[in-house]
Amino acid sequence: MAGKKTVFVDSDILVIGGGFGGCGAAYESRYWGRDKKVVVVEKANIERSGAVAQGLYAINCYMGMRWGENEPEDYVRYQRNDLMGLVREDLGYDIGRHVDSTVHKFEEWGLPIMTDPATGRYQREGKWQIMIHGESYKPIVAEAARKAADAVYNRIMVTHLLMDKKKPNRVAGAVGFNVRTGDFYVFQSKAVIVAAGGASHIFKPHSAGEGMGRTWYAPWSSASAYALPIRVGAKMTQMENRIVLTRFKDGYGPVGAYFLHLKTYTQNGYGEPYEPAWRQSIEDMVGDYVNHEPVPTCLRNHAFLKEVEAGRGPIRMVTKEAFKDPHKEIVGWENFLGMTIGQAVVWAANNIDPKEVNPELVMSEPYVMGSHATCSGAWASGPEDYAPDEYQWGYNRMMTVDGLFGAGDTLGGTPHKFSSGSFTEGRLAGKAANKYVDDLGTNPPEVSEDEYLELKEMIYQPLETYRVGRNEITAGTVSPTYLLPLSGLQRLEKIMDEYCGGVGQRYMVNEPLMMRGKELLKMLKEDLANLGADSLHQLQRAWELHHRVLASECVTAHTMFREETRWPGYYYRGDHPKLDDKNWHCFTLSQYDERTGEFEMEKAPVYHLVDDVKQAAE
Amino acid sequence: MPTFVYMTSCDGCGHCVDICPSDIMHIDPVTRRAVNIEPNFCWDCYSCVKACPQNAIDSRGYADFAPMGHSVRVLREEDKGTISWRLKFRDGREKHFESPIRTTAWGSIKCASEYEAPSTEAINSQELAHEPDYLKTDQGLPSITVDQFIKYELAPASAANKKSKKISTQAAE
Amino acid sequence: MFDINPFAELSHSISPAIMQGFVIAMAVCVAGGTLFDVVHKGSAKYFFGLVKKGALGKARTVPFSEKVSVVAKTTAHDVLASGEFCNVRRRLAHLLTMYGFLAYVIATATMVFVYPGTGTTTPAILVNVWWVGIVMLAAGCYWFWFFIRVDVASEGNSPFRMVRADLFVVALMVSSSFGIIWGYLQVTGNFWSTFALGLYLISTTILFGSVIWSKFSHMFFKPAAAYQKNMAKADGGRRNLPPPSDKPSLYGKVQRHSHHY
Repeated sequence: MAGKKTVFVDSDILVIGGGFGGCGAAYESRYWGRDKKVVVVEKANIERSGAVAQGLYAINCYMGMRWGENEPEDYVRYQRNDLMGLVREDLGYDIGRHVDSTVHKFEEWGLPIMTDPATGRYQREGKWQIMIHGESYKPIVAEAARKAADAVYNRIMVTHLLMDKKKPNRVAGAVGFNVRTGDFYVFQSKAVIVAAGGASHIFKPHSAGEGMGRTWYAPWSSASAYALPIRVGAKMTQMENRIVLTRFKDGYGPVGAYFLHLKTYTQNGYGEPYEPAWRQSIEDMVGDYVNHEPVPTCLRNHAFLKEVEAGRGPIRMVTKEAFKDPHKEIVGWENFLGMTIGQAVVWAANNIDPKEVNPELVMSEPYVMGSHATCSGAWASGPEDYAPDEYQWGYNRMMTVDGLFGAGDTLGGTPHKFSSGSFTEGRLAGKAANKYVDDLGTNPPEVSEDEYLELKEMIYQPLETYRVGRNEITAGTVSPTYLLPLSGLQRLEKIMDEYCGGVGQRYMVNEPLMMRGKELLKMLKEDLANLGADSLHQLQRAWELHHRVLASECVTAHTMFREETRWPGYYYRGDHPKLDDKNWHCFTLSQYDERTGEFEMEKAPVYHLVDDVKQAAE
Repeated sequence: MPTFVYMTSCDGCGHCVDICPSDIMHIDPVTRRAVNIEPNFCWDCYSCVKACPQNAIDSRGYADFAPMGHSVRVLREEDKGTISWRLKFRDGREKHFESPIRTTAWGSIKCASEYEAPSTEAINSQELAHEPDYLKTDQGLPSITVDQFIKYELAPASAANKKSKKISTQAAE
Repeated sequence: MFDINPFAELSHSISPAIMQGFVIAMAVCVAGGTLFDVVHKGSAKYFFGLVKKGALGKARTVPFSEKVSVVAKTTAHDVLASGEFCNVRRRLAHLLTMYGFLAYVIATATMVFVYPGTGTTTPAILVNVWWVGIVMLAAGCYWFWFFIRVDVASEGNSPFRMVRADLFVVALMVSSSFGIIWGYLQVTGNFWSTFALGLYLISTTILFGSVIWSKFSHMFFKPAAAYQKNMAKADGGRRNLPPPSDKPSLYGKVQRHSHHY
């Protein structure tokens, strides 16, 4: 039966998650740690795991310093601008100065990057984006990681981190279970790099039937990147900064290449432009930020939402002219086939040919993640050579727990990393973790047998709950004593949708709603003790739900704490409807206490690079 | 769009079970053939479709929003470094696409450990592997200094309000 | 020992007529079961509908001579050489069981019908074929059952877990095992041979009698499906798959292993 065997794995560096962040961490850990034991543990199969499973058609984070296209400072300004002023500029500069070497390495490894026939340079899609034929982007990068690691454990779901039994606030490893055999795994490691998935499926999606699989961000991103550090007291930042995306309807196909390369544009349901009409509405909420160029992502969303609310939807992407060009037509379709195949399927199913029809757009349900146009995640230490004192406590990319590093969606404050930036952040964490391990000397952390045995019982409990509880009913899915993981997930999504700013509330929250949401989340969390799993697959779903619920509690705590509307178009506070730089031009930080279930909130300062930023002095 | 498996083509080899990022391709207990056990957790990533040596897996649009009668099939040829797509609209129109997927041989990536071991200077620097060469600029790794940062000061009353506020997951009193 | 016809030995206690009757009954079970399966599930109707649909999607008409060639190639490569299996171990295991089964069944029928009783002398080679066949069959079954079966190799289930899909293989495995045991006990004149015979007969009846519920009838469907697939390649229909790229083969494939977990 499940859990019959315990497998112990020792390592110097443990990488949790084999996506782009994890692959970068594995590669760089090996480069700097030739004699170190580097282990990667992945819930699925590293060959196709993570957000890049189906491929990508563009690398959205590339400076092009070699051709004088951008400098890291430009990138920092871009991030700051898009996030309405609140980013970790030290971390952003760090990504910007390194990411080009990552991309050049990818090209050497075999990633086909498109070139501009006129200049011989990489084909730019936009200022930060270059175009690739990236169907096999993940298999190529996974090959590098597999070679670098001593071992890659596929199909092991890590459920909890383990702390050092000798020294407080220091990580010592992790536990999890094998999704195929049911064996219990105890990882003991000197350093741990969390590079797991962010949060999809914490808000109810637009499509709730079979279509709930077609989320914008992968459905297997189960917020492990957040739940693992939250539970052990790592400080989290910007968890309220959820992302909402404007994408092609139903399939959530990407629009970047359309706007930037095909030069398409949007119109309302009557074929009229609409964005200028909402300028005043935006200025009333965010003041001078309305003048920022390029228009921040959330503000474009805001105009979209307002136009639809005014009854002039659906919003469409005008493609008919652009698609007459055969090259652009190919790009328009291959953009999906290499990145979001589902959108091509939606159009084929509906007889939509963008040459004849301007396809519909939609604003998605919210997601919480750290590598795209928002920056939720763990609070991390910055680069030693220039980060302000308040931003560093020793090792680059280390969280506020000793030895616990992060990369990719895991870390907060650094948006717009995408694939190349996440891999780069993994590299930064890998090098820093090596230094940390070397500095540990002869007193490495040790896991506590009491702790992992206690967790072991908890981990397999849902199997036992189901096995025994199943005797009560004749058949079917309705049981009064156990909670099926899918039921729990749908309950979570409904709570977050209705009380924390989902599509059902048009992204609106206020204090009374969130207070009620917290009550409901509390009861849901209590009910998780009754999860019932009839298979190892369902046990994985059960632990994914655990991670999602904890992350959702954190998101709710942060959303309650920030008393302003900083990102209209992502979410709105009905009780604090305007942007408030005087009081809230800062980061929100939280620290969770597992024993009490409470989040302690605080503000952390924003440091800006170079630019003059008006002080909100009184 | 969720995947399904053709009965006459699947020979129960298990590659789809091995590759699925969502852990939803499993083996049916009656036929011992592959089956998608949770279409509502299928991202339509086509990993299983591409991995199947028999081309036994196909996909159809999600039932809650895709009309029937369409087809989007793919042939991934690792040895040629290509991927080919054949789309069929509901009304019968077809579109074909072919793209490269890799420019180098599978398994050819040089392992990180095969490079010359880094010097102490490199270890203590901010440079990552293969830098500054792979930045392909003539300069070294860019850097700045801490005094190029300006702290954004909040209004004094607000800054003093920095003391922690507990937000409990217990019900409000 | 391996030259003695066990059925001839058995004819001392059971008449050849009864043995022949049993073999005929098993054949009727298979034919009847397959026919019932096809009619009841409508699988033939589905299959011919598929052929018609494929004909609609074709890009060219295949000339008769090419059709003959496709049949020949399908028979030689897919049917006789189990060529559809991409994995070497799976292919070998299938060849082992398939040829073992054929050898064992044909040898059994020959011994029971042509050399019944002790009146005739059974050629030694025939008895050898019977033994080789039934041992090959059993070996292939055990190899598949414990090591190759996908729900064990890829899904991580215990090799002792049994589900409905296992009905065919388990019945085959058990029947051939008891056949070996009975054959040995019969020709050595062992007292327990009757008991072993009983188990052999029961498991064999289950094997051939459970055709409706097991995957037995697939052995008849697969050649037809293989032919249809090769025809779809020839006529360009390809069941909606794109044609292979005309780029040259440059990079080599990555060999995938069955045990990934």
